[in-house]
Amino acid sequence: MTEGHQESGGGDSFDLSQFYQIFFEEAGENLDLMEQMLLNLNLETADDEELNGIFRCAHSVKGGAATFGFADVAELTHQMESLLDRLRRHELQPNPMMVDVLLESADASRVLLARHQTGETGEPPSNADLVRRISELAAGGAPAPAAAPPAPAPVVAPPVPVPVAAPAPLSANPGVRQLEIRMGPLERPDQVDGVKDLFRDIVGLGSVAEVASGRADTRVFHATTSSSNEDLLDLFAFHVSREQVNIREMGAAAPGAATWTDRDDPPPGAPVAPAPGFGFFEGAPGVPTGGAAAVTVEATEARPAAAKTGAAKPAPSPVAAQPEAATIRVAISKVDQLINLVGELVITQAMLAQNSQTLDPAANQQLMAGLADLDRNTRDLQESVMSIRMIPMSIVFSRFPRMLRDLASKLGKKVEFVTQGEATELDKGLVEKITDPLTHLVRNSCDHGIEMPADRVAAGKPETGTITLSAAHQGGSIVIEVRDDGRGLSREKILNKARERGLEVSDQMSDGDVWQLIFAPGFSTAEVVTDVSGRGVGMDVVKKNIAALNGTVEIDSSEGYGMRVSVRLPLTLAIMDGMSVGVGDEVYILPLSSVVESFQVKDDAVNTVAQGSRLVKVRDEYMPVIELEKVFQVPRYDGGKSSDIMVVVEAEGSRVALLVDELLGQQQVVVKNLETNYRKVPNVSGATILGDGKVALILDTSTLVRRSRH
Amino acid sequence: MSESDQSGKVVSGPREYLTFRLDQEEYGIDILKVQEIRGYEKPTRIANAPEFIKGVVNLRGTIVPIIDMRLKFNCAQAEYNSFTVVIILNLRNRIVGIVVDSVSDVMELAPENLKAAPDIDGSVDSSAVVGLGSVGDRMLILLDIEKLMSSVDMGLVSVEA
Repeated sequence: MTEGHQESGGGDSFDLSQFYQIFFEEAGENLDLMEQMLLNLNLETADDEELNGIFRCAHSVKGGAATFGFADVAELTHQMESLLDRLRRHELQPNPMMVDVLLESADASRVLLARHQTGETGEPPSNADLVRRISELAAGGAPAPAAAPPAPAPVVAPPVPVPVAAPAPLSANPGVRQLEIRMGPLERPDQVDGVKDLFRDIVGLGSVAEVASGRADTRVFHATTSSSNEDLLDLFAFHVSREQVNIREMGAAAPGAATWTDRDDPPPGAPVAPAPGFGFFEGAPGVPTGGAAAVTVEATEARPAAAKTGAAKPAPSPVAAQPEAATIRVAISKVDQLINLVGELVITQAMLAQNSQTLDPAANQQLMAGLADLDRNTRDLQESVMSIRMIPMSIVFSRFPRMLRDLASKLGKKVEFVTQGEATELDKGLVEKITDPLTHLVRNSCDHGIEMPADRVAAGKPETGTITLSAAHQGGSIVIEVRDDGRGLSREKILNKARERGLEVSDQMSDGDVWQLIFAPGFSTAEVVTDVSGRGVGMDVVKKNIAALNGTVEIDSSEGYGMRVSVRLPLTLAIMDGMSVGVGDEVYILPLSSVVESFQVKDDAVNTVAQGSRLVKVRDEYMPVIELEKVFQVPRYDGGKSSDIMVVVEAEGSRVALLVDELLGQQQVVVKNLETNYRKVPNVSGATILGDGKVALILDTSTLVRRSRH
Repeated sequence: MSESDQSGKVVSGPREYLTFRLDQEEYGIDILKVQEIRGYEKPTRIANAPEFIKGVVNLRGTIVPIIDMRLKFNCAQAEYNSFTVVIILNLRNRIVGIVVDSVSDVMELAPENLKAAPDIDGSVDSSAVVGLGSVGDRMLILLDIEKLMSSVDMGLVSVEA
């Protein structure tokens, strides 16, 4: 099967598409990082490091986008970069509106990138309105909130006193230049029509007029712009290749104009000191000095507004900035392959261990010692490899600050978001599956839990509610909690709703049981269904998703004070400690973490109650008995063994006693999925391969426990 | 064994079939779906499964279900001895093993050798029979093994609730 073959040497047309995937991944990461930094940005005391970091992210994305010909992304990020450049030079003070527009621009960039990635055709969404807002902010103005129908932004900005032509802050600006841009020879001269659109859509780029070229295959434009030639060529790259463009200056304009050999960081695209006499700018955007004063006024006004929209900030102890760790990008398939191979190694090593048990230790001392070493090494190797797939919870938590910020502002609530245990590690496979349920729980807390600021104050609580997301290891599991200090669950309402829906409830039900009712499909006590939640399709899906990961979810609530949802997930999916038990001629495996104790039982200790179910008394507790022989219809031969050993297992908060023939041993088992080639088997959670090469079924203690409840 | 063609040309040209025997009949299945041929080892029983699903075995680390075709096709007898063969099939990422009485050879059948299948009675799902092949005086019942294995009554595919 031939893979895409490598071109020998470099072809004439260098195929960039092989690098697209890398670019998309890196651009995505840069945009994520930029968003995170923007959210963490301290507006009053923004330090150079932070601002530079954000600038670099935008710059990287722009550079990559231009290289690969994604002009729409390049144009948008170019604008963002201009604003960020001014910010990092401290020419402007950051304010919440800038953060908002930059966040929105990052979103828009992601959308554009996604379109390129999936190869969508058709009209891309217009970002002219975003661009307008960016440039107005960059000029120091306060743009009107995003207009709904995006209209192509004219170069006109709200008229601002023009008089002071201050060249000082724009010292890095090459100044306005008059250029003659010659494009040709062109196969299709109309392909450069888009150039005029560029000048029209990108505010501050300048202006352009076409002039007669005298040749059918050449187009000539006269442009007035402050952008460097490099920038112009980048922008035109989408319409015409560099070799076909010739840019010539027609005469320097404002003082301090650099020549077109200026290859430094692109200048801020927007505000330009209007050169006298050219008249190309109608009502130029505000001049910096005037603008700076306007900005500080803006900032102080904007702050109370920001407080009202309930900015969500991360924990008081700020999330540690991503350290510059040396990393390698590895395809997940390679890691999975590695884990599989280590799994095989564990099986082989177990087989060797088993077979060597029959050997005489004295005669085979070296062999036994070697096997003991092998056992240790294999265990270490396996732990190491499993940890490759573990990633810190901070990855999961990272999406919430932004989401809560937007959600809280939309609902008019004030919410503070606190995270704990970000460094707790979780298997990558779990991370992807836990994100949706957690998102739903957090949104629930914000929507239904946290009250409106006025209500909170009336109840004697602080105006700003707190939602805490925490993760911690406990035994062989990871426990993730979503806590809020909102109004909590109302026992009354839930019971009433349950009765309404015909569910069997009684007033004597414990609180815990009442809370579990909200997991019923379609259950919701929300009076108002918002588009955020309230339709009642969320909680049961959450529970199902978590159960699919072999996890559990518990709720604790106190009316008026708040609520806590705890999600417990097993840590590793692939290798676990198991206890093997024998029933008849067959071997079954129980997860060691669910085994509580085991004992030998005499017939008189087991009582039979109505409907044939049996109970056994363990110390002071009666618990149901499950005879594995019956559940799995194990064939019995006359004169064979009979079951007289009970193994108590605990799952989902209840205990049952399993009746087996004998306890065989305890070992690490590699969990194999039955459903890959077969199908889901009731009461079985997977299979494993024993030391002798045979397959043993791993029992699903949760379903066994549930069985006994009926 | 003849070289296998470029995998593209499966439709019109001659195809190769692995032939095996169940009781008195000879069947043929697309050789490209066959991963390997093994001897029979006792599988781990799965409770409450249909009788013809013997259980699962360990195939170099993968858990593979084993289906006894002789029981599925209601053959007169099904012995498990040293001659019993298991054909491991790779059907688009699902690996399944089938127990047969014996495996014969690989036959190349050109379209000319294929005849349409008449409606055969009950035990074999007629929709899985692609046709009848004749070579010399042998008659092969050609099966679409993938279709057969994916059918619901084979019990491999769980029915979505």
